[in-house]
Amino acid sequence: MRCVHTFDLGQSAPLAEEAFRAFLRETSTGGDRLLALFAEEPSSGRFLLHALAGGAAPGRFVHACVEASPRSFRTFTDVCPGTHWFEREIYDLFGLVPEGHPELNPLRFHEGWPKKYFPLRSGGAPAPDARRGYRFLLVRGEGIHEVAVGPVHAGIIEPGHFRFSCAGETIQNLEIRLGYQHKGIESLFPGYPGMGKILLSESISGDTAVGHSTACARLLEEIVGKPADPSAERWRAAALEIERISNHCGDLGGLSTDIGYLFGAAHFGRLRGAALNLLLKIAGNRFGRGLNRIGGIGPRVPGIAPGDLVAELERLRVEVESVGTTLLDAPSVVARMEGTGRLLPHTAKTLQFVGPAARASGRDVDARRDFPSPSYGDSSPAKVLLDGGDVMARARVRFMETRSSFEWLSGILAGAPGTGTAAERVNAPVAGRRLVVSVEEGWRGEIVHAAVVDGEGRITRYKVVDPSFRNWPGLSFAVQKNVISDFPLCNKSFNLSYSGADL
Amino acid sequence: MLESIRKRAQTGKVTVPLPAGDPPAPYRGMPAIGDAFRSGSVAETCAAACATDAIDPEKRTVDLGRCVFCGLCEEACGGEGIRFSQDPRLPCGKREHLVLGGREFPTLTAAPDLRSLLGRSLHLREVSAGGCNGCDLEAQALGNPIFDLQRFGIDFVASPRHADGLLVTGPVSKNMREALFKTYDAIAEPRIVIAIGACAASGGIFRGSYAIEDGVGNILPVDLFIPGCPPHPLTLLYGILGFLGRSPGKNLRG
Repeated sequence: MRCVHTFDLGQSAPLAEEAFRAFLRETSTGGDRLLALFAEEPSSGRFLLHALAGGAAPGRFVHACVEASPRSFRTFTDVCPGTHWFEREIYDLFGLVPEGHPELNPLRFHEGWPKKYFPLRSGGAPAPDARRGYRFLLVRGEGIHEVAVGPVHAGIIEPGHFRFSCAGETIQNLEIRLGYQHKGIESLFPGYPGMGKILLSESISGDTAVGHSTACARLLEEIVGKPADPSAERWRAAALEIERISNHCGDLGGLSTDIGYLFGAAHFGRLRGAALNLLLKIAGNRFGRGLNRIGGIGPRVPGIAPGDLVAELERLRVEVESVGTTLLDAPSVVARMEGTGRLLPHTAKTLQFVGPAARASGRDVDARRDFPSPSYGDSSPAKVLLDGGDVMARARVRFMETRSSFEWLSGILAGAPGTGTAAERVNAPVAGRRLVVSVEEGWRGEIVHAAVVDGEGRITRYKVVDPSFRNWPGLSFAVQKNVISDFPLCNKSFNLSYSGADL
Repeated sequence: MLESIRKRAQTGKVTVPLPAGDPPAPYRGMPAIGDAFRSGSVAETCAAACATDAIDPEKRTVDLGRCVFCGLCEEACGGEGIRFSQDPRLPCGKREHLVLGGREFPTLTAAPDLRSLLGRSLHLREVSAGGCNGCDLEAQALGNPIFDLQRFGIDFVASPRHADGLLVTGPVSKNMREALFKTYDAIAEPRIVIAIGACAASGGIFRGSYAIEDGVGNILPVDLFIPGCPPHPLTLLYGILGFLGRSPGKNLRG
């Protein structure tokens, strides 16, 4: 399967530091792109850094690892800026200091946490003192003032803190401090593969339950050596595209709210609900929880006949098309969104952003094409790529992607079996120490799950990369030189998950 | 402009009346406990399948404050012990009201003086505290034209100073403990606290993690728990209206 891969860690010796650095440098110059950088403590007091990359050809995964001292490693941000947040995360979870990191603020831990507390580090080697306080970048100049927003925001949304440094109305710098949603989810995954892991993955980011649980299920299936059959995979892909449609509709509604276009807000709010109700008819829950089992899909999935689903999707498509066209053709809407919150293609490429936000800034990455799961093997939804990089481009990409998804769904559901294959219980075969990786294109971008598995088939380290974790810094770039009143609009055009980033 | 007016006329009214019909199959709503669960080994089979320890095979109870409605217990027992119905009305109230199969509790409603103080109006400040965002999304959906919470005089407000109470989602991450408490503190008394979802009741699927407080009840005095993972918007509507003594079937306009 080209969306999952197993690396035999017995066969891949750690690289020399320079070779590892070269591996990361290559991910920022084209070809294979960075998927994840994370630390592991294979035995007490010994630390490894793993880098995963791929995508130069469909289904191509590459891996490299390097030994790190129990205290620190030299930062890789100079050769691969996309490792910026990954290194901060390693610092928080393991207490390994990335020496020379340009902005080593804690991502996960706030004031009040003990200085020696690193949740994924054993006591095998003495830990350094961690800095728990946060140093905001100080912008100096005449008339510069700061505006602090959050963690509790005005609407019904997740918590995070935004610190704006402004000259008049214009944003000079936005610093995003997260961690409020940190729930220690990676610490809950280790152990033998079981359904509990899939339930956990459904709660990594509530609006991406299908994307994360599908990536997790395939990873667990790779560990136990029992892939789902094509009919189950077909329903996974169908649910994934409906999840994409529901969220893109929700975002188009949210953008409408933020510019005071109530027509779009009301209709897209309703249409998002209609798409969620289709997920409910498939899996029994509005967010598609209950879809996945290890080795297939739930026994009551799908709860709707393929023909009925096609008919309901067609009704929804007609409505989304008419409301979306009205929204994106309205001169007042275009005037408000065009040129606002521009994320330059160069920035998107350098920092290796993913998903629709990257595709609106000319970065051609899509895991459905680059790491195709069985249902996307022959054809994936039509490519959408724009280079405007502004709110308008991000809105258009979303609308065009819903079109692609509707079109592709009607093809894949034609002739789909009315039932998938329910999972059986299986035990993990004994094999060497290995690293298993699974990638899927969620609606926000590529989702990466990776697990280090020991000789008995037990997960010892589980890494989750939500696309939000990759893209949050993009928002800071997009709002620079915009007026502060445009921030909500810019923010909504990315609509990143706090929970997915904070884990 | 004309297009949007035409569309508006064409769409008509989409708001669901209350009481509403049940969501379609295979929706997992209120679990029904079968006779087989109350004797024999079926309760143990169900408990073994449960990933959140919601089922106590000794007491033969199901704690909806821990249940994530995954359906694994129903699959394990073939529906003999526990079978999920499509009814979105779930028991709400104090923490013990959420436990099925034990003592029966009468429906909990707010104290009469509080209800008379609130009248037909309730304004809530929402705080998301360490969850996955699922409950926040369903609370947000209450504001869309389908569920339209505002028709009942209930609304979400930005400032805690304007609020009669707090609606909290999530298990309360340690990093949100202070912000949650400050928001609560900023609300004038008398104030109510509503905690929605399995995480807010017990920590849910994250229970026992180093980074959370295992539920809002460990931080604030909670007046109303509403179970679910996440609760369906209808579950939220029934739960909040029931607490205000405006149960569907009676005059919902209060």
